[in-house]
Amino acid sequence: MIFRTPNREERTRINRAFNRWGAFEFFKHKPLIIQELGPKKKAVCLVTSGTEKIAQMMDPYSSGLAIGELKKQFVPSIAGADLFARYREMRKNNNNDNKYYITVSEKAENLVLYGRDIMGESIVAASDTLDENELVIVLNTACEAIAVGRTRFTGRSLFQKGKVTVSTIADAGCYLRAED
Amino acid sequence: MTLIFPESVESASLAAKYGYDEWLVSRFLEYVPRIEDFLSKMERPPTKYIRVNTLKTTREELEGRLRSKGFQLESTVMPEVLAVNIAPLAIGATTEYLLGHYYIQDLSSCLAVDALGVSEGHTVLDIAAAPGGKTTFIAQKMNNTGAIIALERNERRARSMSFNIMRCGVYNTSIFRMDGLQAHKFEMKFDRVLLDAPCSCEGVIAKDITRKTSHTPQDVDYCSRMQDKLIEVAARCVKPSGILLYSTCSFAPEENEMVVDRLLQKFKNNITVEPISHRRSSRGLTKFGDSRFDRQLNNAIRLYPHIDDTTGFFIARLRVD
Repeated sequence: MIFRTPNREERTRINRAFNRWGAFEFFKHKPLIIQELGPKKKAVCLVTSGTEKIAQMMDPYSSGLAIGELKKQFVPSIAGADLFARYREMRKNNNNDNKYYITVSEKAENLVLYGRDIMGESIVAASDTLDENELVIVLNTACEAIAVGRTRFTGRSLFQKGKVTVSTIADAGCYLRAED
Repeated sequence: MTLIFPESVESASLAAKYGYDEWLVSRFLEYVPRIEDFLSKMERPPTKYIRVNTLKTTREELEGRLRSKGFQLESTVMPEVLAVNIAPLAIGATTEYLLGHYYIQDLSSCLAVDALGVSEGHTVLDIAAAPGGKTTFIAQKMNNTGAIIALERNERRARSMSFNIMRCGVYNTSIFRMDGLQAHKFEMKFDRVLLDAPCSCEGVIAKDITRKTSHTPQDVDYCSRMQDKLIEVAARCVKPSGILLYSTCSFAPEENEMVVDRLLQKFKNNITVEPISHRRSSRGLTKFGDSRFDRQLNNAIRLYPHIDDTTGFFIARLRVD
């Protein structure tokens, strides 16, 4: 595996994504490295300064916490979504709500954790200003990130009954399923 | 060579009663306190423990959530570890588990990490680290600072460890697909080295009763030879005044005290066995059959299912100068 410091263009794209998820301040001074997974596949990993040195000098299988993948757009992993959601929760008192998070009901939580897509009636909170094909972090009612999804509809249409309105891209149950 | 003792009436009768090969019971008779309690405890499923992942939650928060789902939990000698007395659903299938709020881990493993004594900013080498229970606990104790190098040769196990690291939100760890015997190639010295050595797993017979008869003296010999090599490599990776924590989940003295004793002889005065504070545990052996070990081995601890309510475990904390 190749681990390296993100170049300027990559860092800009990553920062833009952090900003989108309301986590720019949290990551501002945190070391990040890029793990080259293939010709067009790059993971962004959160590391400590000690781990950063080890990753770049040696040749680890994995290093730090893969918080997302850098494609055309930065797509958060479940671990990344978890950090973003935690930071959002910490800053809630600062009236810093963010439109790229949706909340699903307790009943839907288990289905999402099994990788199922999200039905409109399962969504209990979502921004009216969300567009179609937007990446969103899916929260449970305790405001914990349980999945990363992509909207299939805009605004209020996300709540329509009987239709899948958000596709699940990754969910917190995927680690367990991958083990089976 | 694995010591085999002459068959006695007692060893034959206990072996027959509990379904063990006789050679194993005759050895247990040499060092296990209250043998009948021990064998009887091994017939029951071991207590399940969870370790709270304080990188993601607090013990109070987790206890509240699991109790509201009908779990019955009990405190242990470690504040981060809870015994699960009643689980209305699989302990590995709750939302809290999937979100990395806890790790299913025996108390014995947690005590080994506790004895390692890590601090924030340390560099730590974890040899034979998969599936990552101890690694993620070390990261938690270091509050995700410093650096951990975790070694695992097997691809599938390394992948499994990387999932656990992701689930637990650990970011100070690098996994290397490497045999522990190659650890010297890092040309690095570590504040702490953990060698939870591959072993014959006698200590987990309660989890896998086939080991009562499938386990052979040759297994112990094989593991002991491997452990001799690994512990020497591990000792050479420790910074001056650093700590090497050696542990196994075997009861066999050949895999525990004898391995440490040979290391002490090899390194003469440069390694000392430090005491480990754990109030109930049995001390390490200083003799077994005709063999006598360094008296410092008394500072090591042995965990027994019937005394400590854990899987069988051996822990030695070695200061390397």
